[in-house]
Amino acid sequence: MAHDEALGNVGRRDFLFKVTTVVGGVGVAAATVPFITSMNPSADLLAKATTEVDLVGMEPGHMRTVAWQGKPVFVLRRTEEQIKLAVASKGGLEPMADQQRVKQAEWLVVIGVCTHMGCVPNLEGEGWTCHCHGSQYDYSGRVVRGPAGKNLEVPPYHFSAADKLVIGEA
Amino acid sequence: MSNKVMQWIDRRFPLTSFVQHDLSEYPTPRNLSYWWNFGSLAGIVLVLQVLTGIFLAMHYKADVNMSFASIQHIMRDVNYGWLLRYMHSTGASAFFLVIFIHMARTLYYGSYRAPRELLWWTGQGLLLLLMGTAFMGYLLPWGQMSFWGATVITNLFRATPFIGDQVVVWLRGDYTVGDETLTRFFALHYLLPFVIIGGVMIHLIALHMVKSSNPSGIDLADKDNIPFHPYFTIKDLYGLGVFLMVYFGFALFFPNLLIEPANNIPANPMQTPNHIVPEWYFLPFYAILRSVPNMVGGVVAMGLSVILFAFMPLLDRSKIPGGALYRPIFRVQFYLFIIDMLILGYIGYVPPTDQTIVIGQIASIAYFCSFFVVPFISTAEEKWLRKRGLPKQVEALIASEELQKAQKKTGGK
Amino acid sequence: MKKHLLTLALCCVTSLSFANEEVKLEKIQVDTSNPAVKRGVEAFMDSCHSCHTLKYIKYQDLVGLGFDKAKVKEWQGDWTLDAPVMGMMPDDGAMAAFGKLPPELSLMARARDGGNNYLYSYLMAYYTGADGVTGNHVFPASKMPDPLGISSATEPAQRAEIAAKAKDIVSFLNWAADPHELERYKLGTYILGYLFVLTSLLFVMKKRIWARLN
Repeated sequence: MAHDEALGNVGRRDFLFKVTTVVGGVGVAAATVPFITSMNPSADLLAKATTEVDLVGMEPGHMRTVAWQGKPVFVLRRTEEQIKLAVASKGGLEPMADQQRVKQAEWLVVIGVCTHMGCVPNLEGEGWTCHCHGSQYDYSGRVVRGPAGKNLEVPPYHFSAADKLVIGEA
Repeated sequence: MSNKVMQWIDRRFPLTSFVQHDLSEYPTPRNLSYWWNFGSLAGIVLVLQVLTGIFLAMHYKADVNMSFASIQHIMRDVNYGWLLRYMHSTGASAFFLVIFIHMARTLYYGSYRAPRELLWWTGQGLLLLLMGTAFMGYLLPWGQMSFWGATVITNLFRATPFIGDQVVVWLRGDYTVGDETLTRFFALHYLLPFVIIGGVMIHLIALHMVKSSNPSGIDLADKDNIPFHPYFTIKDLYGLGVFLMVYFGFALFFPNLLIEPANNIPANPMQTPNHIVPEWYFLPFYAILRSVPNMVGGVVAMGLSVILFAFMPLLDRSKIPGGALYRPIFRVQFYLFIIDMLILGYIGYVPPTDQTIVIGQIASIAYFCSFFVVPFISTAEEKWLRKRGLPKQVEALIASEELQKAQKKTGGK
Repeated sequence: MKKHLLTLALCCVTSLSFANEEVKLEKIQVDTSNPAVKRGVEAFMDSCHSCHTLKYIKYQDLVGLGFDKAKVKEWQGDWTLDAPVMGMMPDDGAMAAFGKLPPELSLMARARDGGNNYLYSYLMAYYTGADGVTGNHVFPASKMPDPLGISSATEPAQRAEIAAKAKDIVSFLNWAADPHELERYKLGTYILGYLFVLTSLLFVMKKRIWARLN
């Protein structure tokens, strides 16, 4: 076999070789982009980014769970007492004023997904309790007992009319 | 550090020796032309098809009520779904184009001859698997062409002796092509490419046993072989670059050229489109099917037309090296065969009329004849060539081959 | 051999463009620009939407084309933004009037031999026969009444206006069938440019490496 210097010739990895390798490498890296991004939510799912909630007929103390982007969102019409309780405290593990978490004191809107491992907490006691690992949240959705370390998330929302709530960025 | 790791691995797995033996130092004839690029290209296309296919399968739904819409979902909503889908549909055609060129090269240069029969036969097996995979994949969009193509092709199995009708129903899982058929075709369309990958391994093992053929048609002396790396890695990469330009040219600028308009209409089991045609790569074989007026005869003829390629090593009796290169009659035969294939392809595409049926029948007979005359012509041609006196370079080739054989014998003792 | 394989490839391609050519279709240059597509949406909503559905186009997509939501709301009626563009005619009404359902149009520009040319020629092929009955040269069995009024237009200016409208509708339906077409051409240009550079580099490298053999 014509065994010339070609093989052992590592020293000749000259400029051209380097440029070609870099150009080829960039191409291969760029080629992974469509494959990877194809696994992100598709355009039609993103288009369904808002959920409208009709608030007519909801009494104080009444809670509804609605789906927004497939996740449960708690909409709670708080009683005077619950508001008082929520305003009085700063919460537990992640302190935050109640005013920062609501747009209208009467309406609490939080994503009903426990910030620990993603279970859905139940409304019981003075707020919510997650039955998976025992985390507790108050009437402002703030975590008061672990293992969860963060408050229930507040989704973007606005009131399109006095009794119409739109969850999600419009 | 990397040295130590390699040592650790080599004690447990022959990595270094494998790379040296089968990749970097693998001896390759230096006189290979660019026609020898198409084998590795086929491998790359296979990888492209598997990759795009896996990502498409993440969005596709194999259900008669959802499959057409899921393709639209991929084409419209999935991020870069249109790119993946067009790459996959164009890739199918690219695959057949590359494979047909690969086969044409093998036929032209006589690469199927001893000792490469098994290499050729494993290749034939891969062709059949590829055809099956492509056919089942074509049902998945659940368009009119998909549905009626699958209906017609599964009906071919009615030609099975005695149990024809049962076989057709068994293949479909229903009395017509339906939900069951679609789901199983999807399962098999996902499975078969991996069987093909296994077949490619066997094809490569066979190749590395007998080494690449080359335009001269004889096994070259050691001094005429060069290491695969870097010579053929760079040559294959350059060829790949050219191929990708053509491939993306079609996939991104003319992706609908090879998609029949009727396949953009959802499947309707109650109405056949006026003009149904298979994909271009099946057209010559389809023309042979249509040329035989009897159903069973047509199916047998079509099956035979694909399988006949496998008999080439037995049919070709000539001992002149170099395939068509040094065999004028064989060369003419090769070109006539290609022209015949093109005629059959055209006949397979156009709607049948009295005229095209006759042309198709003549072309079909010519197709089979071009195989059956090979034993007689090849022996006669060899006699004639030897009588006339072989060109000096051919004499030299034969002499060098005999010399090498003799050396190997004495070396072996 | 090279030439022959090339012809093989070419014949395969050209033989496929061999469409059913009983009727001569008028060839048009489709304007794929956003203004043309938007004019097409308006023309479609005027002349086609009363019967035809676009199953795979959502009202949201029209907003994506650059219409403001108030405008889309007029077409949308009670449907939500992520609903498909539904034809306004109820199915049983259509069955009673035409004996069949009007086809959904989102893929129509890719679902007929001739594609865009077919659509344009079809829209323009209405004529009024001697007996005063309207017919269509391109698709004689058509049940659709002349949507743009070309069969009764006699003034050249009026005909030109209808032709322009038909072209806009084709622009829109072409977009509807293949909404990523322009993005695809753009990406294609980049990819081919990149591959040209890479392949040239590889070609020079190949020359250089193989030069060592002599």
